[in-house]
Amino acid sequence: MGFQLARSDNKSEFVSNLNKETANHIGAQKLSKVFLGGGGENVLALSDVNLVIEEGTFVSLIGPSGCGKSTLLRILGGLDTPSTGQVFGCSDVITSSGRPLKSAFLFQEYGLFPWLSAIDNVAFGLKMAKVPKAERIERSRAWLSRVGLSGFEKTYPEQLSGGMRQRLSLARAFVTEPDVVFMDEPLGAVDPQTRLLLQEDLIRLWEETRKTVLLVTHSLDEALLLGDRVVVMTARPGRIKLDLKVDLPRPRNVAITSEVGFSELRTMLWDNLRDEVEQSLEFS
Amino acid sequence: MATTPMAAVDENGQSETGAVVAEAISKLRRKERVRRRMDLVLSVGTPIVLIILWQVSADAHFIDPRIFTPPTQIIRAARQLISKGILQKDIGFTLARLLVGYVIGVISGVIVGLILGLVRPLRSAFSPLFAALYAVPQIALLPLLLVIFGIGETPKILTVVAVTFFVLEINALAAVRNFDPRLIESGKAFGAHKFKLFRHVILPGSLPSIFTGLRVSIALGLVVITATEFVASNNGLGFLVWNSWQLFQPDQMYVGLVTIALVGVILTGIIVLIERLSLPWLVRRKR
Ligand SMILES: Nc1ncnc2c1ncn2[C@@H]1O[C@H](COP(=O)(O)OP(=O)(O)OP(=O)(O)O)[C@@H](O)[C@H]1O
Ligand SMILES: [Mg+2]
Repeated sequence: MGFQLARSDNKSEFVSNLNKETANHIGAQKLSKVFLGGGGENVLALSDVNLVIEEGTFVSLIGPSGCGKSTLLRILGGLDTPSTGQVFGCSDVITSSGRPLKSAFLFQEYGLFPWLSAIDNVAFGLKMAKVPKAERIERSRAWLSRVGLSGFEKTYPEQLSGGMRQRLSLARAFVTEPDVVFMDEPLGAVDPQTRLLLQEDLIRLWEETRKTVLLVTHSLDEALLLGDRVVVMTARPGRIKLDLKVDLPRPRNVAITSEVGFSELRTMLWDNLRDEVEQSLEFS
Repeated sequence: MATTPMAAVDENGQSETGAVVAEAISKLRRKERVRRRMDLVLSVGTPIVLIILWQVSADAHFIDPRIFTPPTQIIRAARQLISKGILQKDIGFTLARLLVGYVIGVISGVIVGLILGLVRPLRSAFSPLFAALYAVPQIALLPLLLVIFGIGETPKILTVVAVTFFVLEINALAAVRNFDPRLIESGKAFGAHKFKLFRHVILPGSLPSIFTGLRVSIALGLVVITATEFVASNNGLGFLVWNSWQLFQPDQMYVGLVTIALVGVILTGIIVLIERLSLPWLVRRKR
């Protein structure tokens, strides 16, 4: 769908094929990943995955539990390496201004540092990038207020509610002005009502900034509501089963989930996903 | 207020609800205040009652006052020791040995523990060895140290170094080994690699465990230096206690024991205070 992958076994050829289209895409080709299990039992988490994420697109990734979604996201984000195949991640893409793409992450368990106050958590990435202190504080403060956490600058993450922590990690990811944002079930741990609100926040934020986003989620509604594309993975070993273009108009909001076009897409997604989920349950 | 039905609160509107909540809060506060006062009374009162019991039963010869010197006599002995300058000097000797050994042990233990936690080959080489050595009571090293270094300050300080080193090494190592992998990943994801990862993620995240080691090892260090001074010293609080026993002066012995206990309490208190100040996030979570 959308982008056709050139088949090749050689990284530079793959890279130059990507570059021909436009510069700032990221992707993977013939990617597989094996984990060495504790009891001598190896796990093939990903097998022959081909995926390209174009600049400025929001891609939702969905699939049964344990199919390798997080693994794929971590490899594309440069937090892990593939066993075989090629990856064209953020550090491989040089933008027109001559620097590699900047990435940021949102994790399900937030990954906030308990020893840092809210504002220091937000400023962490900037500090690592050696942004001067005054600017760091100013930008972090601005993002805290943008996610509705003004007044909580000095609060520690443990003292915040789940929803507040997630908004804090949202601020932490966006304050660095990344080119690509990797989100691994960012709203998985918050209650359903808060989740609806945060989804609207995410839509608004994305429509304002138009970053490249890869979102892993278990919610069909969330995948369709947020994504320009929804990529469905098979049960383990994970492969790409379906790459669905979501032609819903923007700006979007949570109300569209009750429209006819939306339910048709959801039905189609579920038809594809159902077998995989059943299969993944049989194995475990 | 427990009898007020929920519906009534709703019908009476917000201001009423606010009043109910305020009353509930002040009730909770009052309860908490009473509890705290009770804690304080019990923690201060119990020792006082015991001391009075001791005094009374010694005066009445329920217990042998020659062995269980009554508190008034202990205070008299303490005054004498202080006026002769002996007690201050002994405190000074013991504190100096303890603190020099403690600081050396802490610094080396933390550094070695962190390095072993981070570098796998070194860990494989040394971690089992250190675990085995830790199982040997450090005070048992004293004769060997005396053979090597002769009777001077070095062997005394080294027993404290040994006990402190192992406690800190083990705690720092455990902190790194058990580190939450999600936080490491989070650090890497936001640009902290290698030394930065250590400095800004692993080190601050290991501090709680290191502080536990600091608290445990100051008490152990005091035990070890006291025992060392029993046998290999002619000054210090341990010597005061041992010598008083040999001269059969139980009143002075009690002065020594009480002083050692006070030194332990004060040093531990100082470390707890430093911990509270440097780890505000942890203190707040405990509540
Ligand atoms: N570090 C690791 N060591 C060993 N096996 C691993 C490791 N990480 C992941 N796996 C295995 O790889 C497979 C894919 O894991 P992954 O976390 O990518 O799945 P997922 O699709 O994100 O699942 P979920 O939806 O439950 O989050 C699983 O079988 C998992 O057990
Ligand atoms: Mg996952």
